Amino acid sequence: MKRKVLIKKWLDNELNSEDLEAFKQLKDYTDLVRLSHNTMLFKPENIDISFELESLNFALKTRKQKGNNYFKPLLRVAAILAISLSLFYYTTTLNTNINTEIAQKENVVLPDQSLVVLNAKSTLTYNKSKWENNRDLNLNGEAYFKVAKGSKFSVKTNTGTISVLGTEFNVKNRKDLFEVICYEGSVKVEHNNKTNILKPGENFLLLNNIVIEKPKAVETSPYWINNETDFTSMPYTQVISEFERQYNVTFSVDNIDTNQLFTGSFSHNNIEVALQAITFPLNLKYTKNNNKISLQRE
Amino acid sequence: MPKKLHNNICEENLFNALFKKHSQHLHNFLYYKFGERLDPKDKMQEAFIKLWENCKKVTPEKAKSFLFTIGNNLMLNEVKHQKVVLKYQQIKQKHHTNETPEFVLEEKQYMDKLQTALTNLTDAQRVAFLMNRIEGKKHKEIAELLGISTKAVEKRIYGALKKLRLDIDEL
Repeated sequence: MKRKVLIKKWLDNELNSEDLEAFKQLKDYTDLVRLSHNTMLFKPENIDISFELESLNFALKTRKQKGNNYFKPLLRVAAILAISLSLFYYTTTLNTNINTEIAQKENVVLPDQSLVVLNAKSTLTYNKSKWENNRDLNLNGEAYFKVAKGSKFSVKTNTGTISVLGTEFNVKNRKDLFEVICYEGSVKVEHNNKTNILKPGENFLLLNNIVIEKPKAVETSPYWINNETDFTSMPYTQVISEFERQYNVTFSVDNIDTNQLFTGSFSHNNIEVALQAITFPLNLKYTKNNNKISLQRE
Repeated sequence: MPKKLHNNICEENLFNALFKKHSQHLHNFLYYKFGERLDPKDKMQEAFIKLWENCKKVTPEKAKSFLFTIGNNLMLNEVKHQKVVLKYQQIKQKHHTNETPEFVLEEKQYMDKLQTALTNLTDAQRVAFLMNRIEGKKHKEIAELLGISTKAVEKRIYGALKKLRLDIDEL
């Protein structure tokens, strides 16, 4: 036990002279000293600190040039900025698109508080960011406009362009049919390089590319706003296609002259009543099978 | 708590001072633990490079343990198969010596035995023992350097000594 204590003291260089004598008396004293002495020969090389420090600083400098500390985060910030800016630019210059499906109507308020009511199966496209300078929009289908006063307001269709300053009017742009009715103010309709100015109640009607004169309207807003469609001397095909837009049905027609003219209206709320309204005046019979309706002569 | 002078070690003077203070210790530690084949000087340099790269995250107080951990890990990445080899300095051949050839041969054999025996120690034992014997460090200093208790250091060194004695006798 004494031996162990002595050795431990010796290892920690804590032997006093008395202990040292005792330690020297140990049986394996020479072995221990020899072991200790020879172990010292495994001394690691002494580091030339200033030389090593120099080479370290050199290594650090060459490394810095490769990827320095300030540029990288800066690049990241720049990349994020660039991406978000381009995204912002892209989304703001994007056109706004409004679509309606069969039997759907949609109220749209434009950036200048002008109001548009979009009838079924129609598309309205305009650009929000350019709106202040340029009140332009594209229409495919039918819509009723209540335009706020201000600069020129144009509705572009594939058949013609309607421009106004501030008024109420309806545009119907369907297959083979182009109709503009003015309800308030005045409306300019451009078609085939010819310009027509409409006063309240006047209309411009184009059927199969032929201009047709029609008496003045007396109502102050289109019927369809109130869920009813009216026709005055319209070919029966137009009645059928409008019906299909409002009720999501398809018609099959047997042996009927679809070019005969129809005057009347149908409601958007009740399909049975509406069917009767469009068939009864022409002495037609209808059979309804799910979404298919076939018309025959009575 | 007193306010610290430095929160990190990104300042060059401070970093250089740290290098002067720790480089030799780190080098010796790596040498004792992993031997000279794995180039402890290189790993020491690399550990300091890593320290500089992370200088913002490391406080001066943490620098030492950061360096030792990184140096250790750098070695471990490479060590896997290699055996620890310590190099003993060749005893200078005196031209005119009183020593008999037998003595010289016997001494050489003893050194070889000691080398093998040191290799057979555990890493922990060898590091503590060599720090104590070669550098004459007190147990307390070693404990501080390795971040362990004095008692543990004592145990390691004594254990190492015991094992070496046994091994050398057997060989």
